[in-house]
Amino acid sequence: MKGAKLGFVLRRVRGSLWELVWNHVLTSGTMAMTLFVFGVFMLLQGNLQLMLKGWGDQIQINAYLDKSLGAAEIPRLIDQVRGFPGVERVRYISQGQAWKEFQVTLGAQSGILEGLPRDVLPASLEIAVKPEFRDTPLVEELAGQIGKIQGINAVEYPQEWVDRLSLIVLAVQWTKWVLGGVLFMATFFIVGSTVRLAVLARKDEIEIMQLVGASEELIQAPFLLEGMIQGVLGGLVAVLCLWLLHLFIYQQAPALLGQMGLSARIQFLDLKSVGLILGLGCLLSATGSLFSLRRFIKTWHD
Amino acid sequence: MIQLFHVSKIYPPNSRALVDITLEIDKGAFVFLTGPSGAGKTTFLKLLFREVEPSEGQILINGQNVSRLNRRGVARLRQAIGLVFQEFKLLPRLTAVENVALAAEVVGTSRRASYKKAYQLICELGLKTKYKAKPPTLSGGEQQRIAIARALINDPMLVLADEPTGNLDPEVADETMQLFLKIRDRGTTIIVASHDLELIKRYGSRIIYLREGCLADDLWRVTQEKAP
Repeated sequence: MKGAKLGFVLRRVRGSLWELVWNHVLTSGTMAMTLFVFGVFMLLQGNLQLMLKGWGDQIQINAYLDKSLGAAEIPRLIDQVRGFPGVERVRYISQGQAWKEFQVTLGAQSGILEGLPRDVLPASLEIAVKPEFRDTPLVEELAGQIGKIQGINAVEYPQEWVDRLSLIVLAVQWTKWVLGGVLFMATFFIVGSTVRLAVLARKDEIEIMQLVGASEELIQAPFLLEGMIQGVLGGLVAVLCLWLLHLFIYQQAPALLGQMGLSARIQFLDLKSVGLILGLGCLLSATGSLFSLRRFIKTWHD
Repeated sequence: MIQLFHVSKIYPPNSRALVDITLEIDKGAFVFLTGPSGAGKTTFLKLLFREVEPSEGQILINGQNVSRLNRRGVARLRQAIGLVFQEFKLLPRLTAVENVALAAEVVGTSRRASYKKAYQLICELGLKTKYKAKPPTLSGGEQQRIAIARALINDPMLVLADEPTGNLDPEVADETMQLFLKIRDRGTTIIVASHDLELIKRYGSRIIYLREGCLADDLWRVTQEKAP
């Protein structure tokens, strides 16, 4: 687009933003609400994933060793387990150590262990799994392979945890996109309606521009640009509201979060997510404007 | 310059607006298009600036078939045509100079150059003191002159005027026709659709008479082209 035409488009956009200010406020407000709801789910998902990562660190496989295993064979066994690609680290727990840890776990009720032989608990290996191997099928496969090693009697891992955590993440992800999708569709049509109002308000101007030979691009460009501005403004308002919500949760409800063990982990959206919100707002608003304008002009001509 | 070959226009479902029109209009001609209401005058003009397409036949403007133009081509064609309407079609929220400059700005002329030329044209048309006025504050004749200035700002090869004097009193109508003659003298082709017989008698050098969409008469005559 030539400089003169660009200047013309920008002046028209400025004029429209001023003249139809409430129309644009309505569109940007709707956009902000949609992006805010979407952002809340992004915030939830981000923090949940952070939480899951913390929980995931606790996911480990316990391999119980054969009691007849000699002390000389244990380093070989540990090396063998370390050889699996999914294993992050291995910690050996002797029978005595297992006994002590069990006593600590029982605390005041450790008296019930009196009379039991100290070697009642088997020695074991605590195997931490690499983050990229923490999916259910991979943990399952790794545990199966470890269980087949000679000298290992039984293998145990928190299958339920892994499953539940994966499910929660999946549910939040789906809710975000399904709810976001519905809201985006609604917003798309609301944007379309407000653009139709703007087009109606400038119907004569558009008609005259067509009659004096304005290209379609020149007629559409201001609407497209207005849409993008509305989208970005809506996105900025949404990000601001999300920041305030985050601040409120972080500052005003520390006790509740503390109980849940979350206070230190609540984090705001990263730059990529903020960019996604602004980009979505811009894209949604611009396509809504263009779609509505093209339909309107087509109907008008027909 | 303008050639029509067996041009017909039928509006759905079966309304015949124009039937088998064949004619030529030379560059620099001053043509009146006349006939009773519903004769097809407005459709004839609309076909020339590609507001509608012919159902049959071909229209060539400077050798270019207007039916084959794409959207960009239509925009370019309209940039070379000045349009004047009975109802003026001015934007009430813009000043006179802004209304005129708009037509130049949309074709890519800079703002400064557009406003300068718009102001010059407005002065030429005798509205120097009204260039900042908004259309609702102007008389019918003044509004029509602003509309003519807008039609002229891109130096068109052709001016199409649909009942340009329909809303004007006889004196102002005469002034408007004088303006068209001046424009014609610059080499611009003028086609005026009108059913004002007095005006046609006084100014028409060629009169195309349409009746029920058909070419009923095509008169060429020597006229007194300057105002009495």
